[in-house]
Amino acid sequence: MADMDWPGCAKSLKGVILDMCGVLYDSGEGDGVAIQGSVEAVKKLQTSDLQLRFCTNETQANREKFVAKLGRLGFDISVPEVFSPAPAAVAVLKERGLRPHLLVYDGLLPEFDTVDKTNPNCVVIGDAADKFSYENLNEAFRVLLGLEKPVLLSLGQGRYYKETDGLKLDVGVYMKALEYACDLKAEVIGKPSPMFFQSVLDDMGLQPHEVLMIGDDLVSDVGGAQNCGMKGVQVRTGKYRPSDEGHATVTADGTVDNLAQAVDLILNQRN
Amino acid sequence: AVKFVTNTTKESKRNLMVRCNEQEVFTSLSAARSLLLQKQHRPLLLVEDSALEDFTGIDTSEPNAVVIGLAPDHFNYQMLNKAFRLILSGAPLIAIHKARYYKRMDGLALGPGPFVTGLEYATDCKATVVGKPENTFFLQALSDLGCRPDEAIMIGDDARDDVGGAQNTGMLGILVRTGKYREGDENKINPPPHLTCDSFPDAVEHILKNLL
Repeated sequence: MADMDWPGCAKSLKGVILDMCGVLYDSGEGDGVAIQGSVEAVKKLQTSDLQLRFCTNETQANREKFVAKLGRLGFDISVPEVFSPAPAAVAVLKERGLRPHLLVYDGLLPEFDTVDKTNPNCVVIGDAADKFSYENLNEAFRVLLGLEKPVLLSLGQGRYYKETDGLKLDVGVYMKALEYACDLKAEVIGKPSPMFFQSVLDDMGLQPHEVLMIGDDLVSDVGGAQNCGMKGVQVRTGKYRPSDEGHATVTADGTVDNLAQAVDLILNQRN
Repeated sequence: AVKFVTNTTKESKRNLMVRCNEQEVFTSLSAARSLLLQKQHRPLLLVEDSALEDFTGIDTSEPNAVVIGLAPDHFNYQMLNKAFRLILSGAPLIAIHKARYYKRMDGLALGPGPFVTGLEYATDCKATVVGKPENTFFLQALSDLGCRPDEAIMIGDDARDDVGGAQNTGMLGILVRTGKYREGDENKINPPPHLTCDSFPDAVEHILKNLL
Protein backbone atom coordinates (compact mmCIF):
# COMPACT_ATOMS: atom_id res chain seq x y z
CA MET A 1 0.00 0.00 0.00
CA ALA A 2 1.36 3.42 -0.91
CA ASP A 3 0.59 4.69 2.60
CA MET A 4 3.06 2.23 4.10
CA ASP A 5 5.90 3.95 2.27
CA TRP A 6 7.56 7.24 3.06
CA PRO A 7 6.26 9.86 3.22
CA GLY A 8 2.72 8.42 3.16
CA CYS A 9 3.42 6.42 6.30
CA ALA A 10 3.63 9.69 8.21
CA LYS A 11 -0.19 9.80 8.27
CA SER A 12 -0.40 6.94 10.75
CA LEU A 13 2.61 7.80 12.89
CA LYS A 14 2.26 8.39 16.61
CA GLY A 15 5.85 9.16 17.48
CA VAL A 16 9.20 10.35 16.12
CA ILE A 17 12.67 9.62 17.42
CA LEU A 18 15.42 12.00 16.42
CA ASP A 19 19.11 11.29 16.35
CA MET A 20 20.91 14.39 17.55
CA CYS A 21 24.47 14.88 16.29
CA GLY A 22 24.30 15.36 12.53
CA VAL A 23 20.56 16.01 12.61
CA LEU A 24 20.11 18.85 15.10
CA TYR A 25 23.68 20.10 15.12
CA ASP A 26 27.24 19.41 14.00
CA SER A 27 29.83 19.14 16.75
CA GLY A 28 33.00 21.14 16.61
CA GLU A 29 34.73 23.82 18.55
CA GLY A 30 32.87 24.93 21.62
CA ASP A 31 29.22 23.98 21.39
CA GLY A 32 29.30 23.21 17.68
CA VAL A 33 26.78 24.63 15.24
CA ALA A 34 23.02 24.11 14.90
CA ILE A 35 22.10 22.71 11.49
CA GLN A 36 20.06 25.15 9.46
CA GLY A 37 16.32 24.77 10.03
CA SER A 38 16.67 22.20 12.81
CA VAL A 39 15.71 24.42 15.75
CA GLU A 40 12.48 25.40 13.96
CA ALA A 41 11.84 21.79 12.90
CA VAL A 42 12.07 20.52 16.48
CA LYS A 43 9.67 23.24 17.64
CA LYS A 44 7.15 22.18 14.98
CA LEU A 45 7.36 18.57 16.12
CA GLN A 46 6.98 19.59 19.75
CA THR A 47 3.77 21.51 19.01
CA SER A 48 2.35 18.68 16.87
CA ASP A 49 0.39 15.73 18.24
CA LEU A 50 3.36 13.41 17.75
CA GLN A 51 5.32 12.04 20.68
CA LEU A 52 8.95 13.03 20.46
CA ARG A 53 12.13 11.53 21.89
CA PHE A 54 15.81 12.08 21.24
CA CYS A 55 18.22 9.22 20.86
CA THR A 56 21.91 9.80 20.84
CA ASN A 57 25.12 7.81 21.04
CA GLU A 58 26.77 11.00 22.23
CA THR A 59 29.19 10.02 24.97
CA GLN A 60 31.45 12.99 25.39
CA ALA A 61 29.23 14.63 28.00
CA ASN A 62 26.66 13.56 30.55
CA ARG A 63 23.02 14.33 29.73
CA GLU A 64 22.77 17.47 31.85
CA LYS A 65 25.76 19.09 30.15
CA PHE A 66 24.59 17.87 26.77
CA VAL A 67 21.08 19.27 27.15
CA ALA A 68 22.53 22.59 28.40
CA LYS A 69 24.64 22.81 25.26
CA LEU A 70 21.62 22.15 23.08
CA GLY A 71 19.86 24.94 24.97
CA ARG A 72 22.65 27.31 24.04
CA LEU A 73 22.25 26.28 20.40
CA GLY A 74 18.57 27.23 20.54
CA PHE A 75 16.88 23.88 21.23
CA ASP A 76 14.37 23.48 24.06
CA ILE A 77 14.93 19.87 25.14
CA SER A 78 14.79 18.30 28.60
CA VAL A 79 16.84 15.45 30.06
CA PRO A 80 13.98 12.90 30.32
CA GLU A 81 13.41 13.20 26.55
CA VAL A 82 17.01 12.20 25.82
CA PHE A 83 18.15 8.58 25.61
CA SER A 84 21.86 7.98 25.62
CA PRO A 85 24.06 4.93 26.19
CA ALA A 86 25.69 5.92 29.48
CA PRO A 87 22.61 5.58 31.73
CA ALA A 88 21.72 2.36 29.91
CA ALA A 89 25.25 1.10 30.58
CA VAL A 90 25.05 2.02 34.25
CA ALA A 91 21.88 -0.05 34.55
CA VAL A 92 23.61 -3.03 32.91
CA LEU A 93 26.69 -2.71 35.14
CA LYS A 94 24.61 -2.68 38.31
CA GLU A 95 22.36 -5.51 37.16
CA ARG A 96 25.32 -7.78 36.40
CA GLY A 97 27.64 -6.81 39.24
CA LEU A 98 30.18 -5.36 36.83
CA ARG A 99 32.84 -2.93 38.03
CA PRO A 100 34.19 -0.98 35.07
CA HIS A 101 37.57 0.26 33.97
CA LEU A 102 36.39 3.35 32.09
CA LEU A 103 37.90 4.62 28.86
CA VAL A 104 35.52 7.51 28.25
CA TYR A 105 35.68 11.24 27.71
CA ASP A 106 36.11 13.16 30.99
CA GLY A 107 32.77 14.94 30.47
CA LEU A 108 30.96 11.59 30.72
CA LEU A 109 32.49 10.47 34.02
CA PRO A 110 29.71 11.96 36.21
CA GLU A 111 27.23 9.46 34.67
CA PHE A 112 29.25 6.73 36.43
CA ASP A 113 29.48 8.39 39.84
CA THR A 114 27.22 5.83 41.50
CA VAL A 115 29.08 2.86 40.05
CA ASP A 116 31.71 0.89 41.95
CA LYS A 117 34.92 1.22 39.95
CA THR A 118 37.30 -0.58 42.30
CA ASN A 119 39.01 -3.77 41.19
CA PRO A 120 37.54 -3.64 37.66
CA ASN A 121 36.09 -6.79 36.11
CA CYS A 122 35.13 -5.22 32.79
CA VAL A 123 36.02 -2.37 30.44
CA VAL A 124 33.61 0.31 29.22
CA ILE A 125 34.60 2.40 26.22
CA GLY A 126 32.85 5.48 24.92
CA ASP A 127 33.71 8.17 22.39
CA ALA A 128 36.89 9.21 24.13
CA ALA A 129 38.39 11.22 21.25
CA ASP A 130 41.82 12.50 22.35
CA LYS A 131 41.77 10.15 25.30
CA PHE A 132 42.16 7.29 22.83
CA SER A 133 45.89 7.51 23.33
CA TYR A 134 48.07 4.46 22.85
CA GLU A 135 48.77 4.19 26.58
CA ASN A 136 45.10 4.49 27.57
CA LEU A 137 44.14 1.82 25.05
CA ASN A 138 46.97 -0.37 26.29
CA GLU A 139 45.70 -0.04 29.83
CA ALA A 140 42.20 -1.13 28.77
CA PHE A 141 43.74 -3.99 26.77
CA ARG A 142 45.71 -5.17 29.81
CA VAL A 143 42.66 -5.08 32.07
CA LEU A 144 40.80 -7.31 29.61
CA LEU A 145 43.74 -9.70 29.20
CA GLY A 146 43.95 -10.10 32.95
CA LEU A 147 40.31 -11.16 33.35
CA GLU A 148 39.19 -14.76 33.31
CA LYS A 149 35.91 -13.71 31.73
CA PRO A 150 36.68 -10.47 29.92
CA VAL A 151 33.68 -8.21 29.24
CA LEU A 152 33.92 -5.20 26.94
CA LEU A 153 30.96 -2.83 26.85
CA SER A 154 31.00 -0.34 24.01
CA LEU A 155 28.80 2.75 24.17
CA GLY A 156 27.75 2.60 20.55
CA GLN A 157 29.67 1.18 17.62
CA GLY A 158 29.84 4.15 15.24
CA ARG A 159 32.62 4.30 12.69
CA TYR A 160 32.96 8.04 12.51
CA TYR A 161 31.09 11.27 13.07
CA LYS A 162 31.25 14.72 11.61
CA GLU A 163 32.77 17.68 13.34
CA THR A 164 33.02 21.13 11.84
CA ASP A 165 36.60 20.42 10.78
CA GLY A 166 35.96 17.06 9.18
CA LEU A 167 35.19 13.42 9.94
CA LYS A 168 36.58 11.87 13.10
CA LEU A 169 36.96 8.27 14.29
CA ASP A 170 34.21 7.07 16.62
CA VAL A 171 34.09 4.52 19.44
CA GLY A 172 33.33 1.56 17.11
CA VAL A 173 36.83 1.76 15.65
CA TYR A 174 38.42 1.30 19.05
CA MET A 175 35.88 -1.36 19.98
CA LYS A 176 37.01 -3.35 16.92
CA ALA A 177 40.65 -2.73 17.84
CA LEU A 178 40.20 -4.18 21.33
CA GLU A 179 38.05 -7.05 20.00
CA TYR A 180 40.87 -7.98 17.65
CA ALA A 181 43.59 -7.57 20.26
CA CYS A 182 41.80 -9.67 22.88
CA ASP A 183 39.95 -12.05 20.59
CA LEU A 184 36.59 -11.26 22.14
CA LYS A 185 33.26 -9.70 21.09
CA ALA A 186 32.12 -6.47 22.66
CA GLU A 187 28.56 -5.85 23.79
CA VAL A 188 27.15 -2.70 22.26
CA ILE A 189 25.03 -0.43 24.44
CA GLY A 190 23.22 2.28 22.55
CA LYS A 191 22.24 2.41 18.88
CA PRO A 192 21.82 0.12 17.02
CA SER A 193 21.19 -2.34 19.84
CA PRO A 194 17.50 -3.39 19.74
CA MET A 195 17.34 -3.23 23.54
CA PHE A 196 18.25 0.41 23.39
CA PHE A 197 15.58 1.32 20.86
CA GLN A 198 13.04 -0.75 22.79
CA SER A 199 13.72 1.25 25.95
CA VAL A 200 12.77 4.40 24.05
CA LEU A 201 9.62 2.79 22.62
CA ASP A 202 8.67 1.57 26.10
CA ASP A 203 9.03 5.08 27.44
CA MET A 204 6.75 6.38 24.65
CA GLY A 205 4.29 3.52 25.17
CA LEU A 206 4.23 2.95 21.41
CA GLN A 207 4.63 0.02 19.02
CA PRO A 208 7.53 0.09 16.53
CA HIS A 209 5.29 0.48 13.49
CA GLU A 210 3.88 3.68 14.99
CA VAL A 211 7.28 5.36 15.20
CA LEU A 212 9.71 6.92 12.71
CA MET A 213 13.45 7.35 13.34
CA ILE A 214 15.36 10.17 11.64
CA GLY A 215 19.17 10.05 11.63
CA ASP A 216 22.38 10.69 9.69
CA ASP A 217 24.00 7.31 10.33
CA LEU A 218 22.56 4.86 7.82
CA VAL A 219 23.55 1.72 9.67
CA SER A 220 23.17 2.71 13.32
CA ASP A 221 20.18 5.05 13.11
CA VAL A 222 18.20 3.91 10.08
CA GLY A 223 19.25 0.26 9.97
CA GLY A 224 19.00 -0.07 13.73
CA ALA A 225 15.50 1.37 13.77
CA GLN A 226 14.31 -0.77 10.84
CA ASN A 227 15.66 -3.82 12.63
CA CYS A 228 13.18 -3.11 15.41
CA GLY A 229 10.23 -2.62 13.08
CA MET A 230 10.31 1.17 12.85
CA LYS A 231 10.62 3.20 9.67
CA GLY A 232 13.96 4.98 9.21
CA VAL A 233 14.71 8.14 7.25
CA GLN A 234 18.23 9.42 6.56
CA VAL A 235 19.19 13.10 6.39
CA ARG A 236 21.88 14.36 4.08
CA THR A 237 23.56 16.31 6.87
CA GLY A 238 26.11 15.22 9.46
CA LYS A 239 28.05 12.12 8.54
CA TYR A 240 25.90 11.29 5.52
CA ARG A 241 27.92 10.39 2.40
CA PRO A 242 26.48 9.97 -1.12
CA SER A 243 27.67 6.36 -1.15
CA ASP A 244 25.14 5.68 1.65
CA GLU A 245 22.38 5.75 -0.96
CA GLY A 246 23.75 2.63 -2.61
CA HIS A 247 24.50 0.71 0.56
CA ALA A 248 24.73 -3.06 0.31
CA THR A 249 22.54 -3.94 3.27
CA VAL A 250 20.54 -0.93 4.48
CA THR A 251 18.03 0.98 2.36
CA ALA A 252 16.48 3.98 4.08
CA ASP A 253 12.71 4.30 3.82
CA GLY A 254 13.38 7.86 2.71
CA THR A 255 16.29 10.26 2.25
CA VAL A 256 15.84 13.97 2.83
CA ASP A 257 18.12 16.97 2.67
CA ASN A 258 17.79 17.80 6.36
CA LEU A 259 15.51 17.60 9.39
CA ALA A 260 13.55 20.68 8.31
CA GLN A 261 12.55 18.97 5.07
CA ALA A 262 11.66 15.73 6.88
CA VAL A 263 9.42 17.53 9.36
CA ASP A 264 7.64 19.52 6.65
CA LEU A 265 6.96 16.32 4.71
CA ILE A 266 5.64 14.59 7.84
CA LEU A 267 3.37 17.43 8.90
CA ASN A 268 2.06 17.92 5.36
CA GLN A 269 0.92 14.30 5.33
CA ARG A 270 -0.99 14.80 8.56
CA ASN A 271 -2.88 18.00 7.65
CA ALA B 1 70.73 -22.55 5.50
CA VAL B 2 69.13 -20.06 7.86
CA LYS B 3 67.02 -17.01 7.25
CA PHE B 4 65.99 -14.68 10.04
CA VAL B 5 62.55 -13.34 9.37
CA THR B 6 60.88 -10.71 11.41
CA ASN B 7 57.83 -8.56 11.44
CA THR B 8 59.66 -6.04 13.52
CA THR B 9 58.88 -2.59 12.34
CA LYS B 10 60.50 -0.71 15.16
CA GLU B 11 64.01 -1.14 13.90
CA SER B 12 65.72 -0.88 10.59
CA LYS B 13 67.51 -3.85 9.08
CA ARG B 14 70.84 -2.31 10.02
CA ASN B 15 69.96 -2.29 13.72
CA LEU B 16 69.06 -5.96 13.57
CA MET B 17 72.26 -7.10 11.95
CA VAL B 18 74.06 -7.68 15.20
CA ARG B 19 75.51 -11.08 14.52
CA CYS B 20 74.16 -11.98 11.15
CA ASN B 21 74.77 -10.40 7.81
CA GLU B 22 72.34 -8.45 5.71
CA GLN B 23 71.46 -11.29 3.36
CA GLU B 24 70.29 -13.41 6.29
CA VAL B 25 67.69 -10.95 7.48
CA PHE B 26 64.35 -10.53 5.80
CA THR B 27 62.01 -8.06 7.37
CA SER B 28 58.45 -7.09 6.73
CA LEU B 29 59.80 -3.58 6.18
CA SER B 30 61.70 -4.88 3.16
CA ALA B 31 58.50 -6.44 1.92
CA ALA B 32 56.66 -3.13 2.38
CA ARG B 33 59.35 -1.15 0.59
CA SER B 34 59.14 -3.52 -2.40
CA LEU B 35 55.41 -3.06 -2.60
CA LEU B 36 55.62 0.72 -2.40
CA LEU B 37 58.20 0.87 -5.17
CA GLN B 38 56.25 -1.57 -7.30
CA LYS B 39 53.04 0.45 -7.07
CA GLN B 40 54.76 3.83 -6.96
CA HIS B 41 52.82 4.86 -3.86
CA ARG B 42 53.71 7.96 -1.81
CA PRO B 43 53.12 6.76 1.73
CA LEU B 44 52.00 8.35 4.97
CA LEU B 45 54.34 6.29 7.14
CA LEU B 46 53.03 5.30 10.56
CA VAL B 47 56.34 3.71 11.35
CA GLU B 48 58.75 4.26 14.23
CA ASP B 49 61.52 6.77 13.52
CA SER B 50 64.07 4.04 14.06
CA ALA B 51 62.65 2.09 11.10
CA LEU B 52 62.36 5.03 8.73
CA GLU B 53 65.77 4.44 7.18
CA ASP B 54 64.42 1.33 5.45
CA PHE B 55 62.23 3.70 3.46
CA THR B 56 64.88 6.16 2.35
CA GLY B 57 64.50 7.25 -1.21
CA ILE B 58 60.73 6.86 -1.18
CA ASP B 59 58.77 10.02 -1.87
CA THR B 60 56.48 10.84 1.04
CA SER B 61 55.18 14.19 -0.15
CA GLU B 62 51.41 14.47 -0.72
CA PRO B 63 50.78 10.92 0.47
CA ASN B 64 48.40 8.71 -1.50
CA ALA B 65 48.85 5.56 0.57
CA VAL B 66 48.95 4.70 4.26
CA VAL B 67 51.57 2.32 5.67
CA ILE B 68 51.14 1.08 9.21
CA GLY B 69 53.82 -0.68 11.23
CA LEU B 70 54.38 -0.98 14.95
CA ALA B 71 54.40 2.68 15.83
CA PRO B 72 53.04 3.43 19.31
CA ASP B 73 54.18 7.04 18.97
CA HIS B 74 51.87 7.45 15.98
CA PHE B 75 48.88 5.53 17.30
CA ASN B 76 47.31 8.63 18.78
CA TYR B 77 43.92 10.04 17.88
CA GLN B 78 45.21 12.85 15.64
CA MET B 79 47.45 10.64 13.52
CA LEU B 80 44.87 7.89 13.13
CA ASN B 81 42.30 10.47 12.05
CA LYS B 82 44.76 11.71 9.44
CA ALA B 83 45.27 8.17 8.14
CA PHE B 84 41.50 7.57 8.22
CA ARG B 85 40.75 10.63 6.09
CA LEU B 86 43.42 9.68 3.55
CA ILE B 87 42.00 6.17 3.20
CA LEU B 88 38.46 7.56 2.83
CA SER B 89 39.71 9.66 -0.05
CA GLY B 90 41.01 6.54 -1.82
CA ALA B 91 44.48 5.86 -0.40
CA PRO B 92 45.23 2.12 -0.04
CA LEU B 93 45.94 0.84 3.45
CA ILE B 94 49.11 -1.25 3.72
CA ALA B 95 49.79 -3.11 6.94
CA ILE B 96 53.32 -4.24 7.52
CA HIS B 97 51.77 -6.89 9.70
CA LYS B 98 48.73 -7.33 11.94
CA ALA B 99 50.24 -8.59 15.18
CA ARG B 100 47.71 -8.26 17.98
CA TYR B 101 50.32 -7.50 20.62
CA TYR B 102 54.02 -7.77 21.40
CA LYS B 103 56.13 -8.12 24.51
CA ARG B 104 57.44 -4.92 26.02
CA MET B 105 59.65 -4.63 29.12
CA ASP B 106 56.60 -3.85 31.24
CA GLY B 107 54.26 -6.47 29.80
CA LEU B 108 52.22 -7.05 26.67
CA ALA B 109 51.40 -4.05 24.51
CA LEU B 110 49.10 -3.47 21.54
CA GLY B 111 50.60 -4.22 18.12
CA PRO B 112 49.56 -2.63 14.84
CA GLY B 113 46.88 -5.26 14.17
CA PRO B 114 44.19 -3.68 16.35
CA PHE B 115 44.70 -0.26 14.74
CA VAL B 116 44.67 -1.67 11.22
CA THR B 117 41.48 -3.57 12.05
CA GLY B 118 39.94 -0.38 13.44
CA LEU B 119 40.78 1.57 10.29
CA GLU B 120 39.43 -1.24 8.10
CA TYR B 121 36.15 -0.97 10.01
CA ALA B 122 36.11 2.83 9.83
CA THR B 123 36.67 2.94 6.07
CA ASP B 124 35.06 -0.35 5.03
CA CYS B 125 38.32 -1.29 3.25
CA LYS B 126 40.65 -4.25 3.56
CA ALA B 127 44.31 -3.68 4.26
CA THR B 128 47.04 -5.32 2.18
CA VAL B 129 49.23 -7.17 4.67
CA VAL B 130 52.84 -7.66 3.63
CA GLY B 131 54.38 -9.37 6.65
CA LYS B 132 53.74 -12.59 8.55
CA PRO B 133 51.52 -14.56 8.43
CA GLU B 134 51.01 -13.83 4.71
CA ASN B 135 52.16 -16.63 2.41
CA THR B 136 53.93 -14.20 0.11
CA PHE B 137 56.20 -13.09 2.94
CA PHE B 138 57.39 -16.63 3.75
CA LEU B 139 57.70 -17.61 0.09
CA GLN B 140 59.84 -14.57 -0.64
CA ALA B 141 62.16 -15.43 2.26
CA LEU B 142 62.37 -19.06 1.12
CA SER B 143 63.12 -18.15 -2.47
CA ASP B 144 66.10 -16.17 -1.18
CA LEU B 145 67.24 -19.37 0.50
CA GLY B 146 66.54 -21.43 -2.57
CA CYS B 147 64.44 -24.04 -0.84
CA ARG B 148 60.84 -25.24 -0.95
CA PRO B 149 58.39 -24.82 1.94
CA ASP B 150 58.41 -28.55 2.62
CA GLU B 151 62.17 -28.36 3.11
CA ALA B 152 61.92 -25.61 5.69
CA ILE B 153 61.01 -25.08 9.33
CA MET B 154 59.98 -21.89 11.14
CA ILE B 155 60.69 -21.16 14.81
CA GLY B 156 58.67 -18.40 16.47
CA ASP B 157 56.88 -17.15 19.60
CA ASP B 158 53.65 -16.09 17.90
CA ALA B 159 51.40 -19.09 17.36
CA ARG B 160 49.23 -17.51 14.73
CA ASP B 161 51.61 -15.28 12.83
CA ASP B 162 54.85 -17.27 12.98
CA VAL B 163 53.87 -20.92 13.28
CA GLY B 164 50.39 -20.79 11.76
CA GLY B 165 51.55 -18.65 8.87
CA ALA B 166 54.55 -20.88 8.14
CA GLN B 167 52.55 -24.11 8.32
CA ASN B 168 49.95 -22.56 6.05
CA THR B 169 52.68 -22.06 3.49
CA GLY B 170 53.68 -25.71 3.72
CA MET B 171 56.52 -25.42 6.21
CA LEU B 172 56.85 -27.04 9.63
CA GLY B 173 56.48 -24.76 12.62
CA ILE B 174 57.95 -24.82 16.13
CA LEU B 175 56.41 -22.65 18.82
CA VAL B 176 58.70 -21.46 21.61
CA ARG B 177 57.45 -20.57 25.08
CA THR B 178 59.34 -17.30 25.26
CA GLY B 179 58.64 -13.75 24.15
CA LYS B 180 54.94 -13.08 23.73
CA TYR B 181 53.93 -16.72 24.19
CA ARG B 182 50.98 -17.28 26.58
CA GLU B 183 49.78 -20.51 28.12
CA GLY B 184 47.50 -22.34 25.69
CA ASP B 185 48.61 -20.56 22.52
CA GLU B 186 49.46 -23.92 20.92
CA ASN B 187 45.77 -24.79 20.99
CA LYS B 188 44.78 -21.70 19.09
CA ILE B 189 45.95 -22.79 15.66
CA ASN B 190 44.85 -25.61 13.43
CA PRO B 191 46.82 -27.70 12.69
CA PRO B 192 48.72 -27.30 15.97
CA PRO B 193 52.45 -26.59 15.93
CA HIS B 194 54.65 -29.47 14.84
CA LEU B 195 56.32 -28.94 18.22
CA THR B 196 56.00 -26.62 21.18
CA CYS B 197 59.14 -26.28 23.27
CA ASP B 198 60.57 -24.12 25.98
CA SER B 199 63.03 -22.04 24.01
CA PHE B 200 64.98 -21.49 20.83
CA PRO B 201 67.98 -23.70 21.87
CA ASP B 202 65.54 -26.56 22.58
CA ALA B 203 64.02 -26.08 19.15
CA VAL B 204 67.43 -26.25 17.51
CA GLU B 205 68.27 -29.38 19.51
CA HIS B 206 65.10 -31.00 18.26
CA ILE B 207 65.84 -30.13 14.66
CA LEU B 208 69.40 -31.40 14.81
CA LYS B 209 68.33 -34.62 16.51
CA ASN B 210 65.14 -35.45 14.65
CA LEU B 211 64.68 -33.56 11.44
CA LEU B 212 67.94 -33.68 9.55
